[in-house]
Amino acid sequence: MDYYTLIASLPALPPHFGVERTPVSRPRLRQLLKQLTEEDADTIHQLTRFFSWDRQLLDQSEDDIARRYDELMQNHQTMIRQIVSLRINVRTIVAALRCRRDDLAPPTAVGELVEPIRRNWNHPTFGLSHRYPWIETFSDHMLAGETARADRTLFEYTWQTWSRMAAQYTFSFEAVPLYVARWEIVDRWTSRDMDAGKERFEQLTHEALGEYAELQF
Amino acid sequence: MDTFALMLGWAGIYGPTALGAIGSIMGCARAGQAACGAMLDVESGYGRFIALSALPSSQIIYGIVVMFALNRDVTTESAPGLFAVGILCGLALMASAAFQGKCCASAIVATKTKPEVFGLSAAPAAIVEGFAVFAFVFALVIAGGIPSTGT
Repeated sequence: MDYYTLIASLPALPPHFGVERTPVSRPRLRQLLKQLTEEDADTIHQLTRFFSWDRQLLDQSEDDIARRYDELMQNHQTMIRQIVSLRINVRTIVAALRCRRDDLAPPTAVGELVEPIRRNWNHPTFGLSHRYPWIETFSDHMLAGETARADRTLFEYTWQTWSRMAAQYTFSFEAVPLYVARWEIVDRWTSRDMDAGKERFEQLTHEALGEYAELQF
Repeated sequence: MDTFALMLGWAGIYGPTALGAIGSIMGCARAGQAACGAMLDVESGYGRFIALSALPSSQIIYGIVVMFALNRDVTTESAPGLFAVGILCGLALMASAAFQGKCCASAIVATKTKPEVFGLSAAPAAIVEGFAVFAFVFALVIAGGIPSTGT
């Protein structure tokens, strides 16, 4: 399959994820991705479900996550495996840092870093700072209770990694999951302000409609 | 053996047109697909997309001109020259059209996002076109040295 039409129809992502809104809404993105073949669409669907796992922790067991991870790691597309591997590694490190902060045992998740982290549990960066230079900065922000800054550190690293990889692909399938992965970062960053946006909307509604804003139907 | 040589000669005459057409098909199809995709995302500037997607069609025109320049009686003396010039020129035209299509597709995506870069984004496609022109012009020059008995 050619991906020229699909890639050209995807709105350009911003140079940096720190924007006010996503360049394309989730429903519209889903609609555009319908141009994919059934097999490709299934891969992208699995990937997006995997991306959203840490937003739905209550709905999923660790076994569910492990099963999805295994499914995706069996994908024949190297790019998909790289994206999933990086994502699970980042989440494993974050989980480990949180466990250590709360005096808990090392996480027993999936992925290649579980064992190295367990071996280097007392090392400030688990001996992984050469591969993941953001760990120290993230850890400092997390321990200081600066959640937004910690998140931003993570997003910066992931965004740069995806962008670097995306520069190698233009009109091939690899460009699609990398687009979706970066869109997901923009979506997560912009939705951080959703509550503030909702409050602002209600405030504007009150200003514009006055007492009519309170009407109940 | 003579028949085979004559067949190669005819392949050389028709080669630039056939290979140029294949290249133009590939290039225009790629750029055209990108143009269609871009039209889904923007509300204006469609004409630019179509113009860019048509750029790889020039190679077939060069191929036709080279075919006419090579067209002569095919003999065992002229066949090797016709084959060499025609096929090599055709391959150059085909490659340039196919890759120009990629350049045009990228230019369409760039123009869609930043309309002000329309001219600059077309520059890589124009450079690729330049190489096709080289192949075309020098095929015409070289064609003059191929024996043309009976004309």
